[in-house]
Amino acid sequence: MRFMVIVKATTRSEAGAMPSTEEFAAMGRFNEELVNAGMMEAGEGLHPTSKGARLDFKGGEPAVTAGPFTPATDLVAGFWLIKAASLADVIAVMKRAPFTAGEQIEIRQIFSAEDFGEALTPELRAQEERLRAQAAKS
Amino acid sequence: MRFMMLMIPLGYESAPPDVQLDPERVAAMMRYNEELKDAGVLITLDGLHPPSMGARVSFAGGKPVVTDGPFAESKEVLGGYWMIEVASRDEAIAWAKKCPASDNEIVEIRQVQEMTDFSEEVQQAAAGFSELQRGARR
Repeated sequence: MRFMVIVKATTRSEAGAMPSTEEFAAMGRFNEELVNAGMMEAGEGLHPTSKGARLDFKGGEPAVTAGPFTPATDLVAGFWLIKAASLADVIAVMKRAPFTAGEQIEIRQIFSAEDFGEALTPELRAQEERLRAQAAKS
Repeated sequence: MRFMMLMIPLGYESAPPDVQLDPERVAAMMRYNEELKDAGVLITLDGLHPPSMGARVSFAGGKPVVTDGPFAESKEVLGGYWMIEVASRDEAIAWAKKCPASDNEIVEIRQVQEMTDFSEEVQQAAAGFSELQRGARR
């Protein structure tokens, strides 16, 4: 199973505060632990929403709004893509992540082709697999 | 530059675990995904199961506290994402505008942090992170 671990934004991350060298080093050690356990697929941080934009598709034609957005607790600051046997396994390892007071993560299972059932026809499934393989190559 | 296009489907915060997808919408999204790939901008993409199947870990008082989904306090949650490689934020917005999104959907554009965005001291502390990620993907 694959999971996305979403690091929720805080007022600090939204203000554009960069992690300190110590925080970065601690996270590096944790990432190394994930890699050694064969769980880590990817990990990325995002620039604050003040540099982002939103497109709202209500009413057909998308309306573009420039960031920042609120509330911080509904926003994403970064994420990991994790391979694990169960949600419980992800929770267990993430409890050891070097986060400080006030920080929160959300763990969400990623859809696999099997989960889509009949909505994903064999043709669409083949298309999906081809797309993924080509995107991974580039 | 790498950007995340975060798909935020309003209402997904309270979706049941066995949420049903519309085959026509899946097919339309697949055509869009194919277009991103053909243009050489698609790095990767994923869809997420509803929050009712997920969990959150809060690090409020130093000790991790686990809460099962759905999360009553959330007004918006992530439904999926695309990661794309484009030359500018404007180009990312132009791609998002082409998304066959529904009335209830918002696409948020966020730039992905690169190592060069951090101070030299932090870059040194994080030395090996890119290699770690490349190794993890193998």
